[in-house]
Amino acid sequence: MKVTLISIPVRDQEKALKFYTEKLGFLKKKDLPLGGENRWLTLVSPEWQDGPEILLEPAPNHFEPCKVFQDALMEAGYPYTQFDTENVDVDYDRLIKLGVEFSMKPTEMGTVKVAVFNDTCGNNIQLVETL
Amino acid sequence: MTVYQEKISQIKNICYSNDKQIKTVIATRHFIANNFEKDLKLDFLSQKRFMSKYHLQRLFKRYYGLTPRQYLTDKRLEKSKENLKNGMSVTETCFAVGFESLGSFSTLFKSKTGKSPKEFQKEQLSRSKLQQEF
Repeated sequence: MKVTLISIPVRDQEKALKFYTEKLGFLKKKDLPLGGENRWLTLVSPEWQDGPEILLEPAPNHFEPCKVFQDALMEAGYPYTQFDTENVDVDYDRLIKLGVEFSMKPTEMGTVKVAVFNDTCGNNIQLVETL
Repeated sequence: MTVYQEKISQIKNICYSNDKQIKTVIATRHFIANNFEKDLKLDFLSQKRFMSKYHLQRLFKRYYGLTPRQYLTDKRLEKSKENLKNGMSVTETCFAVGFESLGSFSTLFKSKTGKSPKEFQKEQLSRSKLQQEF
């Protein structure tokens, strides 16, 4: 078995696509219609295009417990998932300039530095730099 | 302060309160990352930090989840993939990243990636050629 996909629940796939590509810099990889407004929409890192894909999944719109869980995480400030970065401070400054809201500024935590931002689609996402 | 920030702060106090130890392992990781191609020995790394090799190994594993040797191997493999993607030969790559035997490099590479260095390189080069053609 291989890990090839991580799923991120989003309220609005088109809005999420714009945020994850235009602000975070991911690339769209697959975009298939799934009936109604729903799509199988995946992204990859520009520097690892054959690596794991992020699935922007409209689950909260179709499955109430997912929405409840996502809301609870958001309210408590817990990240839904995390992305590695070479330099949290550089990404923090870049994303702040693009209007991204952070609930936690870059913070050292032992051998890592972390920061948490709002993806505007229902999730907190953590950036992690290994020190 | 969010619930998550409170949790982070608690974990920091419980697990990451020893600044001296953290500075030691971070410096060791940086040294390995910047000298991965050299013949690095735990004895040398621990002498640099004025501690026993067993203690350094324990601390490194505690804070990074890997032993210094495992971290070094991962670093060498990461760099070897970069070199192979850039067209460097398997033999050159093997020695450029610090492995001493072509056989052990190929065996390790295959066990970690599922492909031999040659197969990996062939796949990467044909992929980039395909991308250029389409």
